[in-house]
Amino acid sequence: MFTIIKNRVIQLIVVLFILSLFTFTLMKMAPGDPVLTILNADEMVVTEEDQAELRNKLGFDQPLYIQYGRWMLNLMQFDLGKSYMTGKPVVEELLTRLPITAELTFFALTLMLCITVPLGVWSAKYVNRWPDQFSRILALVGASIPSFWLGLILIYFFAFKLGVLPSSGIGSYPQIILPAFTLGFTYAVIYARLLRAGLLQSLSEDYVYAARARGVKEWRILWLHAFRAAILPVLTIFGLSLGSFLGGAVVVEILFSWPGLGSLAIDAILNRDYPVIQGYVLLTGVFVVLANLIVDLSYYVIDPRMKRKEEAL
Amino acid sequence: MRNYKNVLVGILCLVLVLIAGCSTTQKSTEKQEDKEKNVNMIFSFKAADLDPHTGFIPIRAGITETLLKLDEKSNIEGWLAEKWETADNQKWVFDIRDDVKFQDGKKLDAESVKQSLERCLKANESLEGSLKIKSMEADGQTLTINTTEPYPALPSELVNPYTSIVNMEAANKDGEEAFKNNPVGTGAFKVKEFKANQFVEVEKNENYWAGEPKLDSAMIKFNEDANVRALALQSKEADVVYNLPAESLDAIKKDNKLNVKSIPGLRAHFVLYNSQSENVKDLKVRQALDLLLDRESVAKDIMLGHGLEANGPFNSTLPFGLDEEVSELNVEKAKSLLTQAGYKENAEGLMEKGGKPLTLELVTYKARPELPLIAQLLQSDASKAGIKINIKTVENADTHLAENKDWDLATYSNNTSPRGDGSYFFNTAFTETGALNVGKINIPELNTLIQELNRTTDLDERTKLTQEAAKVINKEVAHSYAVYPNIIIGMNKRIVNWEPTAEEYYILTHNMDVK
Repeated sequence: MFTIIKNRVIQLIVVLFILSLFTFTLMKMAPGDPVLTILNADEMVVTEEDQAELRNKLGFDQPLYIQYGRWMLNLMQFDLGKSYMTGKPVVEELLTRLPITAELTFFALTLMLCITVPLGVWSAKYVNRWPDQFSRILALVGASIPSFWLGLILIYFFAFKLGVLPSSGIGSYPQIILPAFTLGFTYAVIYARLLRAGLLQSLSEDYVYAARARGVKEWRILWLHAFRAAILPVLTIFGLSLGSFLGGAVVVEILFSWPGLGSLAIDAILNRDYPVIQGYVLLTGVFVVLANLIVDLSYYVIDPRMKRKEEAL
Repeated sequence: MRNYKNVLVGILCLVLVLIAGCSTTQKSTEKQEDKEKNVNMIFSFKAADLDPHTGFIPIRAGITETLLKLDEKSNIEGWLAEKWETADNQKWVFDIRDDVKFQDGKKLDAESVKQSLERCLKANESLEGSLKIKSMEADGQTLTINTTEPYPALPSELVNPYTSIVNMEAANKDGEEAFKNNPVGTGAFKVKEFKANQFVEVEKNENYWAGEPKLDSAMIKFNEDANVRALALQSKEADVVYNLPAESLDAIKKDNKLNVKSIPGLRAHFVLYNSQSENVKDLKVRQALDLLLDRESVAKDIMLGHGLEANGPFNSTLPFGLDEEVSELNVEKAKSLLTQAGYKENAEGLMEKGGKPLTLELVTYKARPELPLIAQLLQSDASKAGIKINIKTVENADTHLAENKDWDLATYSNNTSPRGDGSYFFNTAFTETGALNVGKINIPELNTLIQELNRTTDLDERTKLTQEAAKVINKEVAHSYAVYPNIIIGMNKRIVNWEPTAEEYYILTHNMDVK
């Protein structure tokens, strides 16, 4: 287990280095820079001289490798720089936004589990009968609905038509339900299908037949014997799709005005706020790699064969 | 079976807690409404802090005020300064109102105005160039400002919300962070609670100098999604909502408790020409293109009626707008202009000169969704006159237009008269060093007029010069103005004594009331 952790930390450093190099280059290659926004050229008279002066001050006239090198040097000292837009340290910006996205993600995941597990088990239990068909349709709907549209439809029904939930905002439990559902639903119904497939496979394994032959109760077989094996592929896919989960959070955050990491990233990209974009990408990178590590480690808990394999080695 | 039951019970409990949470909050807001007068608004741009020198929210929320302001007709009038005068456009004397107190009780005098202006110059990089302040002297209620050069535009620049007057003594005492979250201004409302990028809640300033505010408090939330704002208005969660999508208006109009206001804004959508392009260098070609821009259709079909056909750079409802007629689509006349320019119609119906058909590259961008539509409309009408237009959509128009030379025309949008004055737009879009002069426009006659405008103080004289300059722009077809988009605001009919204004600075006022 420790070898895994050690390997992953080395992997993390390599991944982050490549990631930062890529984003930095792409970002600089994309047309535009933040100078006109900083100088507020939309409402104030700005001369070309002003622009050149600011570009020089921010170091944009230096070659790319020097700009990257300077950023990297600062990073080594755990300094991510300051946001061009707000003047605040990037670390502070990220840390104030992180809890908001974490809260959203936590509730979305909880809601997702509340849907995935019952739906998956239910459709595996009644294969090709109406619960299974129902879950199939839900998965199709979930996979095809873009989250901004789902969010709007939910607001339309629950805030406007029924008036039971607030349309947007943050701070109270009712305000969490719609964004968490919007974010979690798509993944929930798709994972339910994965879980169903896993369950069907493990239900046809020999040990299940053996358990049945021993007279073990059906619910026990389902939840204890089959479920444990079926959850592994779902976890793997979940770890892989965590990145898109965070990407989905961007849309949901804007729609429901949750000022989390996603909306920070969008603003930073639109304004070419380079230090913030870099900081966000690094943080997301760390997050995805760590989540995958946790998923891998959880195999050891769920699947005892993994531990035995390692001991055998 | 026990496990299964546990899960079920757990889920039920969760649902119950959530529903319970729901009902209690709703009850509490209802109770509040019985007691006091309160409005809810949703703005389309969020604020990371309430620093009045870098953001507009403090002035919009009625927290801070400026020395001078714009009236309903966008004329400059006194606000915290009662009157002002200058003999040489370089030494300016402002009489600060004697009856104004900051929200913490401190009296407003010239010294506090001076300190506040010094802070805004330090906090906002763009102000140094726009205020051109060399030195300031404070004496009682008299503030003297010396500018670095004769600078008649100073009053208009002091309308800028970034020059809001705040009590810097309080700011220095409480520290920078506290100041950014709770600036002490002179306005009708003071900050009750502010959550970065989420909301600002304000309560009335009982000692407000212009009279007691009618409202007790106001909640201003931020949401960047126009459809969500529209739904929040329909669900009565919000009383006033800014920048509604035109498609949502039918549903809102059907609700007899709601009202939609569509008021002329200060922005213009237009076509700009690259003066360095061989194709559109010829005035006749630009005149032809100008005749091919169907302004009526832009206003009616693209803006869905929420815009005014343009006849010049500034909204024609403004004091310095033009009262000339809007030019109409005229394919025949455009064709004859092209013939005069030496083009001939070839076998395929295309206009060509020296064997080369007239093919133009039009740059557009999606940040303002109407612009690509205007581009398509022009493309289709131009083809009727034998001009082939290729549309190129770019992500960042400013950079693309500045760094490339091979484009011929572009659709663009600008707030052409911020702070009730045209000199910003002239200086930024037509002078040699202007940041937004991407087409490298250089018209000597116009340059002279702009320089003269920059030297003139007298308001009538300025209006005359602004109109003259606008006429030169039209004559030379330096730009082709298409439409002035309206600002669309949705409001609940319980709001009374309030009208939205074009400049979008003064939103929460002491007169705003609820039924």
